[in-house]
Amino acid sequence: MDNVTGIARKVQQAPWRVQRQWIGLFLLGLVVVTLMAGLHLSVTTRTALAGRELQILQDEILDAQRVNADLETQWANLTSYSAMRERALAMGFRPARADEILYVFAAGYQPPQPVNLSRPVPAAPVSLILPAYRQSLLEWFSDQLTASNPASGR
Amino acid sequence: MSNPHAWRFSALAFLLALLGSGILFQMVRIQTDPQARAWLVEQDPYNGAWVTYYPARGEIYDRNGNLLAGNQTIYEIGVDLQAVRDPESVALAASVYLGLDYNRTLAQITEPAEGILYVVLADHVPPEQANKLIELQEVLMNDPSGQSLAGLRFVPHLERSYPEGALASNVIGFTTREGQGYYGVEEKYNSLLAGVPVTLWVPSDPNRAEELPDIPPGATLILTLDRQIQAAAEETLDSALQTYGARSGVIIVMDPQTGEILAMAVTPRMDLNRYWEYENIFVGETPFNRAISQAYEPGSVLKVLTMAAALDSGTVTPDTVFLDTGTIIVGGGYIHNWDGGAWGYQDMTGCLEHSLNVCLAWTAVEMGADTFYGYMQSFGLGRLTGIDLAGEHPGRLKLPGDGDWYPIDLGTNAFGQGVAVTPIQMVMAGSAIANEGRMVYPHVLHAIVQDGQQRAMSTQIVGRPISPETARALNQMLVESLSNETSLANVPGYTLAGKTGTAQIPTAYGYDPRQTNASFIGWGPADDPRFLVYVWLERPTASPWASQVAAPVFRQMVEQLVVLMNIPPDDIRLQAAGGE
Repeated sequence: MDNVTGIARKVQQAPWRVQRQWIGLFLLGLVVVTLMAGLHLSVTTRTALAGRELQILQDEILDAQRVNADLETQWANLTSYSAMRERALAMGFRPARADEILYVFAAGYQPPQPVNLSRPVPAAPVSLILPAYRQSLLEWFSDQLTASNPASGR
Repeated sequence: MSNPHAWRFSALAFLLALLGSGILFQMVRIQTDPQARAWLVEQDPYNGAWVTYYPARGEIYDRNGNLLAGNQTIYEIGVDLQAVRDPESVALAASVYLGLDYNRTLAQITEPAEGILYVVLADHVPPEQANKLIELQEVLMNDPSGQSLAGLRFVPHLERSYPEGALASNVIGFTTREGQGYYGVEEKYNSLLAGVPVTLWVPSDPNRAEELPDIPPGATLILTLDRQIQAAAEETLDSALQTYGARSGVIIVMDPQTGEILAMAVTPRMDLNRYWEYENIFVGETPFNRAISQAYEPGSVLKVLTMAAALDSGTVTPDTVFLDTGTIIVGGGYIHNWDGGAWGYQDMTGCLEHSLNVCLAWTAVEMGADTFYGYMQSFGLGRLTGIDLAGEHPGRLKLPGDGDWYPIDLGTNAFGQGVAVTPIQMVMAGSAIANEGRMVYPHVLHAIVQDGQQRAMSTQIVGRPISPETARALNQMLVESLSNETSLANVPGYTLAGKTGTAQIPTAYGYDPRQTNASFIGWGPADDPRFLVYVWLERPTASPWASQVAAPVFRQMVEQLVVLMNIPPDDIRLQAAGGE
């Protein structure tokens, strides 16, 4: 037994070497934790900035819509019937009488039709938020893998 | 070899461990403390706010795309109490530029109720007024004297605006600052125009910011009105009221083939941007739109419907001859002509041309009450037309069996007395004659624009009270009677069909012989009607006769219509049609 103990002592590392290993491990853990904290802080900051930008953009959209409606009404005020009549009279015009009008036959003439205010609509609403801000880490990895290897998605 | 100072490392490690444990313990304790829940609730309002997004109210256009009702920016002006540096200057500026009481405003800023951080000083402030304050705030921003308007906040938002003022006001109606539509289109289509408000939780934390859902604005409406025709109708009506001394009036212009109302001029009107003056303008029981809300006895314009019924039922033909002795007894009562005279032998065209009460009462008696009232109901009398405007009145058509119906009513109803109709009912009924028997639904909505798509309203035939043959025959009779008798309604170069109507006004003591309602219904061009015009002047003083006061108004209106609607004289139009 004494011989066995003696051999074990011979192969045991020096105490200072064990301490350095522990310290090294601790520092490694610290670096990992610091890296993760830094990464988390970076992502959180970018998310916060994006969120703030989103809020600002939404406010700007609402503001632009309001300004647009206001400008349209201002334009209508400037071109209202009474305003246009006043301007026409000031320029020396007056309403035509029926007996003053010369009618000319024009083949293919189409009388004016009521206004059409239709406008093209986008096929589907486009989200302003990037997918990366909506996905979990696993979903993100899955997307990245699919993107890097399109054949796998088939 | 043991280190004599090793205990120091152990002690330091123990202390650090104790500190770490203490922090951990405190974290757990704070999180699980009963007070923690209360703190969470307390700070919850600062996490964000429930915000209701009101979509912009839909706009209203005329048929040519002219804006009749839109939205304009106005300001809410308030004070952020934590940012105020010079309350006296803020109160003084509010007093000078907003007309607020200085002392009251100062008290609002310096002595707010507990927990109040923001005070609204004024809302619905016009941009011109708000801009002056904004400029002053900027000027004082770096003022060395220390005066400052810091803390004043300007929140822009939209308010209803009517660029045309009073034009077509009785058709459009108005919207209050609370966003509720009243009268006309604004009330009828309020839910469509207002859209659907959305209430959302908006977090203060940008990490939790989410995309706002699409909040569609209210639907945009395109009306059948033509701004120029509407203005012409209003000017003509105002001029007529002045010329003929009438108390009030109505002019309706409709496309008899589609039922689209091109103009509806009514008195009184109001500037819709000043809707709070409503009670001063529409005093007592004055209706907002008498074209649809005020029933009256129309007089002889209703003879057109009586003759239509008599022709269609086969009771008479245009050539049937009637001997007018000047009097007829119906239900035990005597009925006389408008002039008290006897007109001798007259065919049915002559009866219309001379507007003979006795002749028309005779046709009604010959038809019988059931047939006569059946036709009147088919023409829509006594019920709503369903026009898409708020506040329509159904009028009153007494029927046999009603407590207040007497046999003599059959005779008097035949020439438009003892029966109450609204102008819009007469217009709808008249469309059946102008439109080959097809009676169209009168409406003011041309199309709805929602989600970028425009959906047009289709023409609706609400009935065929008479056959096309009857309509054509009566149309011709009205052309002849108009060209022979009512010369003041004729427009050179155009063939028109029409009929006057002069009705005495019922009072509590019987009919007032001195006051009348003067009406005219007519359309043209007679062979292919593009417009139907109805005129009603209430109690004209220049002359009681519609042929003297209402017929000229019809002519003035048609003279403008043919220009505004690009309708050439008959000879040119028919020549062009023949050449195609």
